Amino acid sequence: MLYDRIFAGVSLVLSGLIAWTAYHFDVPFQYEPLGPKAFPIILSIILAACCVWMMVKPDQNVWRPNKEVFTKIAIGLVIMVLYAVLFEEAGFIISTTIVGAIFSWLFGEKPLKAFLYALVLSLVSYFLLADLMELNVPTGLLLGDF
Amino acid sequence: MDVLHYLSIGFSVALTPLNLGLVLAGCFIGTLIGSLPGIGPINGVAILLPLAYSIGLPPESALILLAGVYYGAEYGGRISSILLNVPGDAGAIMTTLDGYPMAKRGEGGRALALSAVSSFFGSMGALLLMVIFAPLLSKLAIQFGPSEYVWLMIFAFTCLATMVGKRPIKTVVGVVIGLLFATVGIDSGTGVLRFTMGIPNLFDGVDFLVVVIGMFAISEVLILLESWARNDLKLTPVGKSFISFSDIMAVKWVIFRSTLSGFLIGVLPGTGASIASAVAYGTEKRFAEGKDEHFGNGDIRGLAAPEAANNASAAGSMVPMLTLGIPGSGTTAILLGALMMFNITPGPLLFEQQPNIAWGLIASMFIGNIALLVMNLPMIGVFVKLLSIKQSYLVPIIVMLTFVGIYSIHGDTFDLFFMIVLGVFAFILRKLGFSLAPVILGLVLGEVLEENLRRALSISGGDWSILLNGTMTYVLAIATVAALTAPRILKTLKK
Repeated sequence: MLYDRIFAGVSLVLSGLIAWTAYHFDVPFQYEPLGPKAFPIILSIILAACCVWMMVKPDQNVWRPNKEVFTKIAIGLVIMVLYAVLFEEAGFIISTTIVGAIFSWLFGEKPLKAFLYALVLSLVSYFLLADLMELNVPTGLLLGDF
Repeated sequence: MDVLHYLSIGFSVALTPLNLGLVLAGCFIGTLIGSLPGIGPINGVAILLPLAYSIGLPPESALILLAGVYYGAEYGGRISSILLNVPGDAGAIMTTLDGYPMAKRGEGGRALALSAVSSFFGSMGALLLMVIFAPLLSKLAIQFGPSEYVWLMIFAFTCLATMVGKRPIKTVVGVVIGLLFATVGIDSGTGVLRFTMGIPNLFDGVDFLVVVIGMFAISEVLILLESWARNDLKLTPVGKSFISFSDIMAVKWVIFRSTLSGFLIGVLPGTGASIASAVAYGTEKRFAEGKDEHFGNGDIRGLAAPEAANNASAAGSMVPMLTLGIPGSGTTAILLGALMMFNITPGPLLFEQQPNIAWGLIASMFIGNIALLVMNLPMIGVFVKLLSIKQSYLVPIIVMLTFVGIYSIHGDTFDLFFMIVLGVFAFILRKLGFSLAPVILGLVLGEVLEENLRRALSISGGDWSILLNGTMTYVLAIATVAALTAPRILKTLKK
């Protein structure tokens, strides 16, 4: 009940913001009757109406994460953000090895095995992706691509 | 015969070495993805889409590959349903009901083979229907003006809201969120910047790929992280049993009926494999009532029906995507987005102006289906082995593929961060019981809906009555009202 109400409340505020922003779009010229404002405003009204409805009649909460689950999700998220930070700077091979090893470990692999797996994975994929498929894969520090 | 002529064009496209290789690769990867528990067709297509885009395939080849992954995954979903009792996605849920009991009895081989054959006939039947009806529908759709398109999309969203998920209101919220995503960026009509918050990366609008990958793949990784702590999967041995001819004869009418209903449900906008398989299962259960039925305890009819129907609906859902530009399911919404990225606008003119794409795809599906049957009967052991791949090996691959795929589009880390933010948002939505397909549908259709609405009102000089002008608009309006009220009326009738 609570989650639904929080979500609906946040969305309600958001729909107000959207409508307000859309209303203040500065339109220098306009050939058509509807213009760029109307569509977002219509949508925000629909969203607001749905949110009020959800607040009045929320669903039961089914999600009850325990501490372990919560920690795992938090670590997973931090790792992904770290991956995004490192991806260009440290390059694909280094960042994938680090991130892959941690994910493998999170899903129950022993640390050393996880590291070796991630290392092999990143090396093999690098050549597959960069050389074979000619994708734009950052080399970063390792191959001095600055 | 026009159709045969076009079909021969299609086969000449589909049979080029590149495309033939891509069909086989797509079907193989699809079966693999579908057979892995937890990763369904929609995630598979989402993860592979940026790769297909970045390696610079021609549009028809990319579409052939992705479509192969789509129906291949629909095919493969049954493997984990039967052997693990874990459906890969919502469309495979009904398969667990009778498939898993069969596997527990030691008839895993029989269940896998029978479901492969049902899937094959389901898709083939639906493909034939597609060849017949898609050109007719596209001829009808050529007469559509902006008002008709506005109604068509409202109809699609209404079908989606009344048929998908437990709470229609949440589907509507999902659609609106998707539509709002679509408004971000420079407005094509006036050049006004909308909701970009001053971020230059958003001036072109939110990138379709970033949204799809973030919402499906990243949130999936979070879900996997969450569920890992709880369950451990036990693989049921396949056993030596195999399908017999009498088995196939016993379910031939089941397959026939389920193919028809699966195709029809697939064609309806917004509804996909999950509804098709549920309806087919329910129908067969009612048909069999009193006639030696063991539904839920390993009845072969209960296995054949949802498998034929969900594969038929995969083909059916391509019909509105190709002919009207309105996707029939979440996965086809992603395929539609893929087409748009290649600057191809699906719609009634696609069949006439770019027959190589529309008919090439259809022809490739015939080839793909045969390939899938061949792959799935003798090679089933390979896929079964893959089921035992550990998540600790799988998840790093998924994460890596999503990051490489998104980075290689623009070479900009902004997209990576944006993808993660969207992934968290989608995770919250999923935990609150929202379905993600409506969001993607809204995102894909948002621009088209707004454009058509504005065009219609430009024609009428701002008079909204143009939306009810002409037979077709009335028909669509009535269909929308019917879709809105039908579930309630059916409910009261049942009482």
